[in-house]
Amino acid sequence: MQDQQLALVSHKLSKNFVSYKKPPGLVASLRSLFVREALVKSAVDSFDVEIPKGQIVGLLGPNGAGKTTLMKMWTGIIVPTSGHVEVLGHQPYQRSEQYRRKISLVMGQKSQLWWDIPAMDSFELLQRYYEVPSAKFKDRIAELSELLAVKDLLHVHVRKLSLGERMKLELMASLLHEPEILFLDEPTIGLDIVAQQKIREFIRKYHDQRQLTILLTSHYMADVEALCERLVLILAGKKRFDGTVEQFQGLLGKKRFVKFRFSEPLPENIQFSDYDPQWGPERRTVDLRIDEADLRTVAGQILKDYPVMDFQTEPMPIERVMHRLLEDPQLLSGADS
Amino acid sequence: MSPSRAGFGIELAKWFQTMRVAWSVQLEYRLNFFLLVIGPSFVFFLVRYSLWTSIYSGRSEEVIGGYGRGDMLTYQVWVLIVALLAKTYNGMDLAQDIRLGRVSKYLIYPFGFLKFHFASFLAFQWIQVIVATITIGLMMAVSLLPEPVVSSLLAGTALTLLVGLLWYAMQLFLAMFSFWLDEVWALRVIMYNVVALLSGALVPLELFPAWAMNVLDWTPFPYMTSLPVKFFMGQQPVTLEPFLVLLGWITVSFVLARLVWSRGLRMYTAAGM
Repeated sequence: MQDQQLALVSHKLSKNFVSYKKPPGLVASLRSLFVREALVKSAVDSFDVEIPKGQIVGLLGPNGAGKTTLMKMWTGIIVPTSGHVEVLGHQPYQRSEQYRRKISLVMGQKSQLWWDIPAMDSFELLQRYYEVPSAKFKDRIAELSELLAVKDLLHVHVRKLSLGERMKLELMASLLHEPEILFLDEPTIGLDIVAQQKIREFIRKYHDQRQLTILLTSHYMADVEALCERLVLILAGKKRFDGTVEQFQGLLGKKRFVKFRFSEPLPENIQFSDYDPQWGPERRTVDLRIDEADLRTVAGQILKDYPVMDFQTEPMPIERVMHRLLEDPQLLSGADS
Repeated sequence: MSPSRAGFGIELAKWFQTMRVAWSVQLEYRLNFFLLVIGPSFVFFLVRYSLWTSIYSGRSEEVIGGYGRGDMLTYQVWVLIVALLAKTYNGMDLAQDIRLGRVSKYLIYPFGFLKFHFASFLAFQWIQVIVATITIGLMMAVSLLPEPVVSSLLAGTALTLLVGLLWYAMQLFLAMFSFWLDEVWALRVIMYNVVALLSGALVPLELFPAWAMNVLDWTPFPYMTSLPVKFFMGQQPVTLEPFLVLLGWITVSFVLARLVWSRGLRMYTAAGM
């Protein structure tokens, strides 16, 4: 029996995909109807995770790492090959009606709304499917359309909306029945920066109000940085990191990220090569990675020796950590648990 | 379905709302509907009608396969009505939903894929009834149809609606192969043509050799055009038998479709597509 406080538990969860080699040529094709060579690809491998109720967790990883496969196993769309999975006390792959009422899935790449009709028509259909009482439905529509600023879009045909507008309505559709857990698979993919920010703000606000559990996958580190208290990294089907965003940023050692701006271009012979420099245009700016312990001395020296106009310091952006990790997965060996 | 009355009402509301969405979508694509659904039926009707008119021209007293000129032309009009009432086109949407992986959405909603499409089919049937009624009225207005006997009209309509159900079940069965095949479009075209030929939609089955008619009696085809037309024309005494035979074929088709569906779904939920 799972702990009442846990929303989602996976234990040694694995998924293999079997495909068959298709040889070229008609004869070979016919022969392959009887004798086929199976190719087994492990998409998710022994994945352990426990997610408490109310947490927002970001699932990070490059394309093909297994993020979407995990999402599909958690929502019940695909059946695991082995291992244990339990979400809100249900086995998702049994797809019981009670389970379906408690969850929601938004996929940035696939529309859940019916394309040819206004969103409101889809909402009314979902109202019936999820058996939301009329009064409550009206309240939900009023509340969500206010939060998302989409009041004017409810009666426009979905196919005529911009991607950002559509995504807001997709989110709205997914929340009408007040799910206990929300799965967001790349909710900001393809959106411009402003639209991304708006979606993020909404998710943040909605979570603050409702304290539902949210699982989010994204390519955009900004999503994860802005929303997630916890970050799970998956590489080639395996969990490689599970911790807070700060811990993740600390993976490359206790370094700070410092940006200097100079009043005039620095000469070529100045390199800062100990600090992984990234020079800006005309050598007027430079980004350095400096050990926290040395920050005062090194920064002080630079301020003294060069014409610094201003400087700012921040923790390592996830983007840069990810980049380094993908280049050199060895860095994770210390973080494996 | 829940056994209580309230549960039944809630379930009914889900079906009705799904049908409303299907109507909205049809209305959105009304030009498509006319071009793809109604248009071809009328064009084929005109072709058949002028073909038979020219076959009988100059020999208006001749009887072919038991049909005089007037009867043959009336037969062709009723073939059109049966096609308008019974032929469904949901197979395309079904196949596309499977091929594009939209099944996922129905695995998450508490209203299944098969239910959704069946409700859409029912919605479509209503539109067909309206179109067929208007057509019957028009055909009578231009004297291409004699005034039908009410009992024949009712019996013919009832049987034709069952034929619609059989069409749907057959399309469902074919669409299910989209789990494995990239395109089931060709299979569907073959099915349309085979049914047109063997059901008596092109020429009355009486023109077929006797042995062929005997063989056809063991298939669902004569029930799909020939028999409903005869019901409409009052040429066939109304008995329960054709209804039962059709129900049998409908059951067989649904069971087969269901089998392929569960195999396909097992693969889908194994591979995700």
